[in-house]
Amino acid sequence: MSSWILLWVAGAAILAGQGMATQGAAAAARTKPSGRPFAVKLVDVAAQVGLRARFVSGGETAKKYIVEANGSGVAFVDYDNDGWDDVFLVNGTRFGAGSVGGNYLFRNEKGRFVDVTKAAGMGRVGGGNGACVGDVDRDGFDDVFVTYWGANVLFRNTGKGGFRAAAWPDRGEWSTGCSFVDYDRDGGLDLVVSRYLGFDMAKVPLPGAAANCQWKGAPVFCGPRGLPFGGLTLYKGKGDGTFTEVMRREGFYGFTAVAVDLNEDGWADIYVASDSSPSVMLRNNRDGTFAELGAETGVAFNEHGYEQGGMGVAVGDFDNDGRLDLMKTNFAGDYPNLYRNIGGGIFEDVVMKAGLAVNPQYVAWGVGFVDFDNDGWLDVFQVNGHVFPGLAGEAYANPRFLYRNLGGGKFEEMGLALGRGSSRGTAFADFDNDGDVDVLIMNMHEGPSLLRNDSATGNGWLQIVGPGPGAVVTVDAGGRKQAQAVLSQSSFLSYSGRRLHFGLGKAGKVDGVTVAWPSGRTEKFLVEGVNKLVKLEEGKGTR
Amino acid sequence: MLALLQGPDALSAQALELASAGRIGEAVGLWRRAVEQAPGHFPSLFNLGFTAVRAGQDQEAAGWLRRAVTANPRDFNSAYLLGTVLARRNETDAALRAWRGALALQPGNRKLMQVMSVEYSKGRYFAEAARMAEAALQLAPEEQALYLVAIKARQDAGQHDEAFALARRALAKFPASARANFEVGFHLHKLGRWDEAMPYFEKAIAAEAGYEEPHYFRGDVLLRREDFDGAAGAFRTALEKRPDYTVARLGLARALMAQGKLEGAVAELQEATRRDEGNAQPYLLLSQALFRMGKTEEARVAKETSQRLRTARPEAMNVPQARPFPQ
Repeated sequence: MSSWILLWVAGAAILAGQGMATQGAAAAARTKPSGRPFAVKLVDVAAQVGLRARFVSGGETAKKYIVEANGSGVAFVDYDNDGWDDVFLVNGTRFGAGSVGGNYLFRNEKGRFVDVTKAAGMGRVGGGNGACVGDVDRDGFDDVFVTYWGANVLFRNTGKGGFRAAAWPDRGEWSTGCSFVDYDRDGGLDLVVSRYLGFDMAKVPLPGAAANCQWKGAPVFCGPRGLPFGGLTLYKGKGDGTFTEVMRREGFYGFTAVAVDLNEDGWADIYVASDSSPSVMLRNNRDGTFAELGAETGVAFNEHGYEQGGMGVAVGDFDNDGRLDLMKTNFAGDYPNLYRNIGGGIFEDVVMKAGLAVNPQYVAWGVGFVDFDNDGWLDVFQVNGHVFPGLAGEAYANPRFLYRNLGGGKFEEMGLALGRGSSRGTAFADFDNDGDVDVLIMNMHEGPSLLRNDSATGNGWLQIVGPGPGAVVTVDAGGRKQAQAVLSQSSFLSYSGRRLHFGLGKAGKVDGVTVAWPSGRTEKFLVEGVNKLVKLEEGKGTR
Repeated sequence: MLALLQGPDALSAQALELASAGRIGEAVGLWRRAVEQAPGHFPSLFNLGFTAVRAGQDQEAAGWLRRAVTANPRDFNSAYLLGTVLARRNETDAALRAWRGALALQPGNRKLMQVMSVEYSKGRYFAEAARMAEAALQLAPEEQALYLVAIKARQDAGQHDEAFALARRALAKFPASARANFEVGFHLHKLGRWDEAMPYFEKAIAAEAGYEEPHYFRGDVLLRREDFDGAAGAFRTALEKRPDYTVARLGLARALMAQGKLEGAVAELQEATRRDEGNAQPYLLLSQALFRMGKTEEARVAKETSQRLRTARPEAMNVPQARPFPQ
């Protein structure tokens, strides 16, 4: 081969036939900084407070198969009901590495963490993906469902500081997202589990062996395109912690699954971020069935109708209109989606207008609507990380971003020093009970990050606990109505605890709290005072 | 009879005379005899290739021209023509190989550099496409077409900053050009700098009244500003100039949907499905409009059509710019 052919091949950017959906999007221009003060500082204190762990997810310097690439979720879960959010880390493993890996459980002892994995029976080793949380047997203690490449596991909380792994049928599938949800309003939690793809190591080609095994001309692991679709399975809970499969859908590469009422009809719907395939919106038909309406409601594609590499989902009312909006993170070369709920469960993608399309060069994963400065407007936090380690010209570890909500549907990226990693699952909760929201992050082949919010805003806040997964709570204060949902899973395959956190700005009081319970009942509560945690119970409010 | 006694040069000369008189079949016969006598007889090989090209017989032409290039590697025309034939046959790599040979013989041939850039892009060799286009531009900075080729190459390569810089250079060179104004506006729009883009679209419209694309993008900016009437007007103007401009009709439908004029939106989308029936996008938006009207069953049918077309005709969704780039 002559020398020019060698140069030609090396220099060419061959974008045809890649395994991931990507749009080649350019970073949108940033607007002029608002100049408004933002007194939020996020400091990584993971090691300092005892969160020492190491995430495993296949090879560290190269990944032969897609099953090594996606990492896992994390969870803030108060498993012992002591009012301090504990930390559960889902972990993967490595091919042929025996017992390398294994999940972690850390008990929160007033802001410091103690590894209780072994004693609690949570250290199962396997290809862990995601976690979702709910009290499946109504004993008052949260149970944890963990998805795997292989058999999933329901960790039943004994209520005595430990868990008992409950058997789950092994169909040799690759499960990723999950959410507990009472879809039929019978008072018991049901479960939706998303599946990524059909992965058979004996059949999957090696890197570079096919068109879907390349990235910008370089050989990489194959997929998801070209590999068999995954899908979604719905299980009906029997109320005693056991479940029966009632629905199965195929035809997409499913990741994060959120379950909440998105069309304000009082019945929980299901939204699944899908990689390189249309994302899925299952509208609850109120008769035990669902209709897939992703395309019709505007949340299956981007604003131009293209499929995207969907990863994570945030749910929150970013524009304080009382309706739950969605944000979905996507693969590199594409913008995230900010799906504004315009009513009736119909959405429009306003990501460009909102100023959130400024960092499309990263593969984006965990995402949350979080009011970091307690000003009453939900900010956006997003983590990133490439899927191909060691690829020339592509950094594996990427920065994280905090986009501050300016109101009026606009955000600005704050350029804060938030560390970097090839990050995946991310959860948000006030682990140190100081009245602001902190961030827990999974980093591939490293330990977790715990970004403690050291803000000094002087703004008020209110935390609400009690409503279970699928409940929507609206706080009326300072002339604003803010809606938030209790989610069994969100961000990327992660869980952010039962407590909802509302920033109140300078409002010195709360004018009212409304809870739309998963049962369909809506109640109003009077809350006196601010800067406190309030526990609400169904039936104790006024209709 | 006389020809039987002649050598390949005489046969070829006689064939040329016949060809000039329009007696192509007889000429081809003589050239064939010439190459039977002398298989490496370059003039006959080239002319056999050339006449096959003119007759639209590309496969046969490629065979003759390959032999011509081998017989005379110093001949530009045969290498160039071989590349052209191969490109027409979608044999991109082979075409580029032939053209690289031609370019080695005429390193300053900017027309060849332009077509090579376009072909590199088609082969998805974007870095090479960009390099070639900009080399041509250096040779002929007064040619607007070369700026456009270079812009396209950078765009295809995903090098938006470089494409934008080229658009600005083109505009500096050709400030009254509708296309140059549009290209700057287009890149600003792509970056979400909609307000900055607007004057360039307006200048493009002022410079060339019949230019539909700036009207579409002007409408898109107005849509984002939530000036729905203004947006609808701009999209309608684009459609007056080009009724089969699908994205403009989708834009019009979006503007109508934003105003709650769902029946109007549905009518436009149905028109789009008639004019561009293989395109999934009008059906997708139609499903959304029908769903908002409560026509869930019709919405489902439109969605399923969209899904079917998405799989069956994915290329129909790749919306080219309304005005093609130079080839």
